[in-house]
Amino acid sequence: MKDFSFGSYYPTVSFVHKMNASVKILLCIAYIVAVFLVQSFYFLGFAACFLFVIIASIFSRVPFFRVLKSVKGILFFIIFSAILQVLFNKEGTPLWENGFITDVGLLTAAFIVVRITLVVLGSSLLTLTTSPVELADGIEILLYPLKWIKFPVHEFALIMSIALRFIPTLLDETDRIIKAQKARGADFESGNIFKRAKALIPVLIPLLISSFNRADDLADAMDSRCYGKSKNRTRYKKQTVGIRDVTGFVFTAGLIVGVIFLNGVLGVAV
Amino acid sequence: MSILTAENVSFSYDKKTDALSGVSFSVEKGEYVSIIGHNGSGKSTLARLFNGLIKPDKGEITVCGYSSLDKKNLFEIRKRIGVVFQNPDNQLVASIVEDDVAFGPENLGIPRKEIGERIEFALKAVGMENYRFSSPSRLSGGQKQRIAIAGVLALKPQIIVLDESTSMLDPKGRKEITGIVRKLNEEEKTTVISVTHFMEETVFADKIIVLNDGKVFMQGTPSEIFSQRETLKKIGLEVPYSTFLAEKLKEKGVPNKGEILTPEALAEAICELK
Amino acid sequence: MRIEIDNLSYSYSAGQKGLEVKALKNVSLTIEEGDFYGIIGHTGSGKSTLIQHINGLIKIGKNSGSIRVGEFDLTDKKCDFNKLRSLVGMVFQYPEYQLFSETVFLDVAFGLKNFFPDLKEEEIEERVKTAIELVGLDYEKVKNKSPFELSGGQKRRVAIAGTIVSKPEILVLDEPAAGLDPIGKRDFLKLLKNLHKGFVKTIVIVSHDMDLVAEHCNRACVMNHGEVFAEGAPKDIFSRKNELLELGLDLPLTAYITDKLKENGIEAPNDFTEEDFIRAITKWYEGEKR
Repeated sequence: MKDFSFGSYYPTVSFVHKMNASVKILLCIAYIVAVFLVQSFYFLGFAACFLFVIIASIFSRVPFFRVLKSVKGILFFIIFSAILQVLFNKEGTPLWENGFITDVGLLTAAFIVVRITLVVLGSSLLTLTTSPVELADGIEILLYPLKWIKFPVHEFALIMSIALRFIPTLLDETDRIIKAQKARGADFESGNIFKRAKALIPVLIPLLISSFNRADDLADAMDSRCYGKSKNRTRYKKQTVGIRDVTGFVFTAGLIVGVIFLNGVLGVAV
Repeated sequence: MSILTAENVSFSYDKKTDALSGVSFSVEKGEYVSIIGHNGSGKSTLARLFNGLIKPDKGEITVCGYSSLDKKNLFEIRKRIGVVFQNPDNQLVASIVEDDVAFGPENLGIPRKEIGERIEFALKAVGMENYRFSSPSRLSGGQKQRIAIAGVLALKPQIIVLDESTSMLDPKGRKEITGIVRKLNEEEKTTVISVTHFMEETVFADKIIVLNDGKVFMQGTPSEIFSQRETLKKIGLEVPYSTFLAEKLKEKGVPNKGEILTPEALAEAICELK
Repeated sequence: MRIEIDNLSYSYSAGQKGLEVKALKNVSLTIEEGDFYGIIGHTGSGKSTLIQHINGLIKIGKNSGSIRVGEFDLTDKKCDFNKLRSLVGMVFQYPEYQLFSETVFLDVAFGLKNFFPDLKEEEIEERVKTAIELVGLDYEKVKNKSPFELSGGQKRRVAIAGTIVSKPEILVLDEPAAGLDPIGKRDFLKLLKNLHKGFVKTIVIVSHDMDLVAEHCNRACVMNHGEVFAEGAPKDIFSRKNELLELGLDLPLTAYITDKLKENGIEAPNDFTEEDFIRAITKWYEGEKR
């Protein structure tokens, strides 16, 4: 529990790590759009996307198996959607007489598997190369336009950052309380679901109480450091857009154009 | 003029029993003042009154000429008086050390470049400059508390209040924190008010204020206060262990003169008997 | 029950490259029945990991050594951990944070009902009453109160009651005096001494407080980087001044002064308890007068 690292951040120094977090989030969205733009069944667009992921992971200096590992987490989901397609897609011709599995069904299933896998690979590159703090900062900047409609962007970002800050603390605390109650004979492992849920009460109540206490303390500490008392709050961290980010933009734009092109060419050909 | 004054201050949480009643004292610029009292004597309430987190029901607290009764003064007060709290886990707001130290100056609206300078200066003052980009969750309690002090120092306050800031630390962390604050007091002439129940941390104070049941029970220099062991015992306090041993020795017929507050002093006193 | 720890090792995040932290390395220790045993060491020296092994909260890995507590072999798959935990009470740091029930009575009874589900109501009440009175609280006054209404010191006592209610033979406490004021601490140690005299046989304390260990423990060990650095009677451990200071650990105040005196040619050997320290200095002084 002590060595908990949030998300899947892979700390190292690389081209992609050094990119602006907001830019990376935008590029990641663009990449996902590109993956969804691929319409052809001939997978060439997907090949382009896959190439994009490979190049990006080379520039991020994250071992490729770490990127691949991210798929493991949602493997069940991928297989499940594939099976649904295979079983219930009635288009196309059955593979055997009166069979319920069609060629189009199989193809669609494969298509979906590849699409989900690519989306996961790409977005995992984002979380592998961007620490949660940077992500929160990046999101804050992207949300900035919402200030126009009086959305409390800064407060929202502060809440995210405090949540990140307290996750390890609360995990440690949970671990401690679980152990303390186990030492008093509490049993969290046996019995049916109701019994187990009930067994959690001695953990949840102390955890809740201590969280409230922490929140109180934190509010005092923030007030004491002049929070909310001045209108013109400044920000220490400033994210700049540099040559790396421009390169990333060009590269991603290339991917989207490529995918559209491949769609068009093959769309005509088929 | 005193840098901080409490004038006849009373406060109650539930409007029934007084946590503080009729408390008056003053702190001079550059002083190191310790406030002691057993748990529940009202000493932590006092710390929260200093920077206007709570307001006195009666009486008045004045910091650098600003009264905490007027809401408009709170910003000016909090700029000048930094409070370090008890639990090291509950006062850091950011997941990276430098971001946390920046929090105060950001709130003051300090320009970015100067914030950078303040972070550097504050982390250096607490000896944590090598941890600027670390995550607080990987630091020890003592180190977290040093970051908390840095976060307060970045506001460049004139007064630092330690509200039982060492009570959750191990002896090593406790020593570090006391050492840092003493140095700030001696070298930067920062006024320090330390609320504590470790008597050993009070022996070098200029003044000790003893609280009991929400009232000022006595005030004076450490030797004045700790020469009254029996009186302190009645209100649930003890003298430092060295002072205690010195008195025990005296009872057994081993003389030692002067006020013994530290182990060094006791060792010296015994050596003089040779 | 005697605690025998043999060649125990433990790593956090074992097998994960770069993340593995060796918390314990080949630790061997014996704690005899009747000991008031102190475990000293820095934060992160492995003390907490060690004591959590004693009642099976942390399971022993393969080829990572063994622990026997009385008849219990903790490496044995068939080991009855529930029974073990009823006999080895464990009190964590700031135990007041484990309280959760509506009343003090229910909170103290929690462990009892877990360990002995077949206990009759009268017997539960009897044992809860005993436990609450043992920790120095007035049973009639507190039993129906919410534990959250109590003061910090009282909460801690309720938490201890909730552990000793199962009549453990061994009581393990992690930094039990943390956060208490001087008198609170003194009373609390008195309570532990009283428990040790009759109710529990062995007490194991993890503490940073050298004065406390010198004053109250009959044996102690020093942990450093997951290893046992020294083991024995406190007076022998605290005679190794230079080594302890090198580890960044403190000496008890009495040991510090005794050492200072020695540097100045005054020999006053003592076992670093308050009483023996006073005796030794007085004896030296009387010799000096003659």
